[in-house]
Amino acid sequence: MALGRTMRSRPRFIPPRLQITSMMDMFTIILIFLLFSFSNDIVTVKINKDIQLPKSNAKADYSDTLRLVVSQDRLWLGDEIVDRIEDGKIIGLSRDDVKESDLYRKLSTYREHFNQDGKKGKAGNQILFLCDRRLSFQTINSIIKTASMAGFPNFQFGVLKQ
Amino acid sequence: MKNRLSSRKRVCEEIDLDMVPIMNMFLVLIPFLLMSASFFHLRAINTSVPVLAQSTSLQEEKSDIKLTVIVELGDKEIHLSAFSDEVDPSIIEGLDERIAADDPNDYPLNALLTSLKTIKARYPASDTMIIIPEDNVIYDTIIRTMDVARYSDESGLFPNVVLSGKVG
Repeated sequence: MALGRTMRSRPRFIPPRLQITSMMDMFTIILIFLLFSFSNDIVTVKINKDIQLPKSNAKADYSDTLRLVVSQDRLWLGDEIVDRIEDGKIIGLSRDDVKESDLYRKLSTYREHFNQDGKKGKAGNQILFLCDRRLSFQTINSIIKTASMAGFPNFQFGVLKQ
Repeated sequence: MKNRLSSRKRVCEEIDLDMVPIMNMFLVLIPFLLMSASFFHLRAINTSVPVLAQSTSLQEEKSDIKLTVIVELGDKEIHLSAFSDEVDPSIIEGLDERIAADDPNDYPLNALLTSLKTIKARYPASDTMIIIPEDNVIYDTIIRTMDVARYSDESGLFPNVVLSGKVG
């Protein structure tokens, strides 16, 4: 009887209500931020973290062509390391013997593939050039010359949007 | 009276919005947007290197005078010049200019822009610029020069930029 009275006098259990308003606020902010950074680019370009791309006011979109990436110590063609760079000089690329270099040979192979696949016009002889902004023209020029000799005279310089 | 008060009390009661479906939608949207988010926006500058080509000047209609601007990037100085088959050589020589940096830590790109605007105003059909950097000029400076050459206040100056090494 006494226990019954105690039970009756105890306040009724009310299930706690989850306060989700603040969580909603947070999610809304995240959603808006993500909507702004949403990218509808079909091609994803992975760039080595050592590379600092220059910033530019360029508005043109890049196209998914052959990618030549130059960091301060490496030269990539697509995802493959082609040569090392030491003190701004590409090891294995001589000014007098460009046609004997690995870069020239690999680019020529790509050129032949493109010709066979029928990729003609600008898209077929264009290279997306992603280069560290601290590199000197001497380094860049030797790569550009080799590429143009191998049949890729048109370039797209990859830059970051300002 | 009592009845009226109780009905008013019922009206003032807090309405609990059911946020759970919205939360569910957010939880689906956020991972999707996180996967497709890009925090660096990559853009491209189209350029080319000089190539041997047959002259097409005879086939083209001479609607307006076109000249090609040459910008030689030195260590601290810019040498601006031009060439054209359609303009008198003495006038072309008058366009020669050496732009030195006032501040040793900065590159004289603002002065270059002023000169390029003057040339563009005189020869509006011109659209090609050749950039010839010295070996020690860094890539960032070349890109900044290209930016100056291509746009100015949203109007195009010399959109066709050709990058070349020094010959000889």
